[in-house]
Amino acid sequence: MNLFSFAVKNLQRRKGRTLLTIAGVAIAVAILFSLLSFSAGYERELTKEMDSLGFHLLAVPKGCPYEATTLILHGGVIPKYLTNEDLARARATDGVVIAAPMLLQQVIKDGTPHIVYGIEPAVMLPLKPAWKVDGRFFTENETRVMVIGSTLAEKENLAPGSVIPFGPAQEQYTIIGVLHPTGSEDDNFHFLPLADAQRLFNKEGLITAIAVKADDVKHIPAIAENLEKVPDIQVVTMSQVTGTIMNLVGSARSLLFSVIVIAIVISAAGITNTLLMSVNERTREIGMMKAIGASGYHIAILLIAETLLITTLGGIIGILAALAGSGIIETFVRRLVPYAPSGSFVSFDPLLIGECLLFSIGLGLLCGLYPAWKSARLSPMEAIRGEWE
Amino acid sequence: MSIIEATGISKTFRRGREDVCAISGVNLTIEAGEFVSIVGPSGAGKTALMNILGCLDTPSSGTLIIDKIPVTGKGEAELVKIRREHIGFVFQQFFLIPTLTVGENVGLPLLFSGRPYEPGTIESLLEKVGLSHRADHLPGQLSGGEMQRVAIARALVNNPRILLADEPTGNLDSVTADGIYRLFEDLHQQGITVIVVTHNRELAQRAGRVITIRDGCVVTGL
Repeated sequence: MNLFSFAVKNLQRRKGRTLLTIAGVAIAVAILFSLLSFSAGYERELTKEMDSLGFHLLAVPKGCPYEATTLILHGGVIPKYLTNEDLARARATDGVVIAAPMLLQQVIKDGTPHIVYGIEPAVMLPLKPAWKVDGRFFTENETRVMVIGSTLAEKENLAPGSVIPFGPAQEQYTIIGVLHPTGSEDDNFHFLPLADAQRLFNKEGLITAIAVKADDVKHIPAIAENLEKVPDIQVVTMSQVTGTIMNLVGSARSLLFSVIVIAIVISAAGITNTLLMSVNERTREIGMMKAIGASGYHIAILLIAETLLITTLGGIIGILAALAGSGIIETFVRRLVPYAPSGSFVSFDPLLIGECLLFSIGLGLLCGLYPAWKSARLSPMEAIRGEWE
Repeated sequence: MSIIEATGISKTFRRGREDVCAISGVNLTIEAGEFVSIVGPSGAGKTALMNILGCLDTPSSGTLIIDKIPVTGKGEAELVKIRREHIGFVFQQFFLIPTLTVGENVGLPLLFSGRPYEPGTIESLLEKVGLSHRADHLPGQLSGGEMQRVAIARALVNNPRILLADEPTGNLDSVTADGIYRLFEDLHQQGITVIVVTHNRELAQRAGRVITIRDGCVVTGL
């Protein structure tokens, strides 16, 4: 027998109380791990999604640029438009390699909104090198053809060759291609040739946004400045979008952190109380142990070992519970955040797991110190008499 | 050869605003291998004297030498060492750890001493107290007399020269108490100094010397 196995046996005395204390620690660690994991995962997925867009700037009609950008990224529709003249001026701006026009429209089918992107394949496809298509992509002058995202194809049971009634006039459109899964919002969209989309929705000469790729990331500020000289255009860089979304998420994160701090304080008070009760019940035993040769150090180590067992076990259970329940929590979090990237927020990050376990151990040490110190300095005679205070 | 020499030992406790004198000017010498009973009425100072002789408490004045080691003025760390190496304790309430087996309870002092010990030490002690068949049982499965025998085996595991027992038969019936005293007599025969605090005058008479304490003073048995 050693002090560790002695500590394990001591914890078995009041199994219910020990399990409740472990559960308290597990809940606090599960919340902490979930929040940190989701925070890191969200930022990673957001950055990945922004990078996958393939462009550096988005030129949108003047108004609230961030709202407009978020709507465009999500596939929403804004009621303002740019014109072909704006597109021409964007293309003529120094440092602009690609300026890809987009017209976004929404159609409702069976009560579900469908997002339609009118694009020019000649300029859009170089921005999306990762796009692979089953079937083929359309050319600029084709009409009544479309390419659709993989999720949409699966949901609607569509494949290359399918013909569907589409648009306000329910014209017959042929699906000529289905995108391979991209892990982004593109998987849910209908893509049409720009001119055909403008015709279909009666928006000739109008575009919703222009995606701009710079020749060098260092030129992005200068390009943005030049583009904003065009009266109708407001420019949003993708790093600004990421920053704005992260700021919004940060506010929610601060709120959650304060909840965690409260949970941890309650958990710590519970652990300390459990230990003090346990020590109080065993005062005479501690006196006996001191009489038969235990020093204050032995008693302190024994109590700290008991605390560490509780908190470490609680930490492991909390992390496992957080990983097991991450799917449910992710669904909940997606409803709360202003913009939810398509990829999973959950990550099995060994560093984060290690940090949370270290936190559990630190919590154990912190909670165990006072009871350990108090019982270590009990005089053996007073302890045998059961005099705790 | 004396194993305990107490000279002018006094102990005063503070109770509220009053100083209460538990023992006063006790001079006592106990020879190695003696079997001594300490008797006296409740509140006479028996346990206070026992605590001081066992280094569980320090005297307010006087000097104490245990097994040739001057104890007076020593700190708790040194007192722990003296208790661990020279003294075995037996208590009225047994104080066995309920989640440890009989064998583990007996071996508990070895956990704190950290000293290497002969294999079979615990088994031979259990045999000595007649409980070798109970090694894997939990204290809750034992009778009161058996529990006290386990406590005695535990007190002996570090090979102490002195065994101090505070009311060891206080919770036992007379037949069981007789068995415990026979065990003390055996240990005394083996050369261990046995000091027993008891209320029971009949059992006390079985010791080689009976020390009577009244109002904190030794009145007979010096």
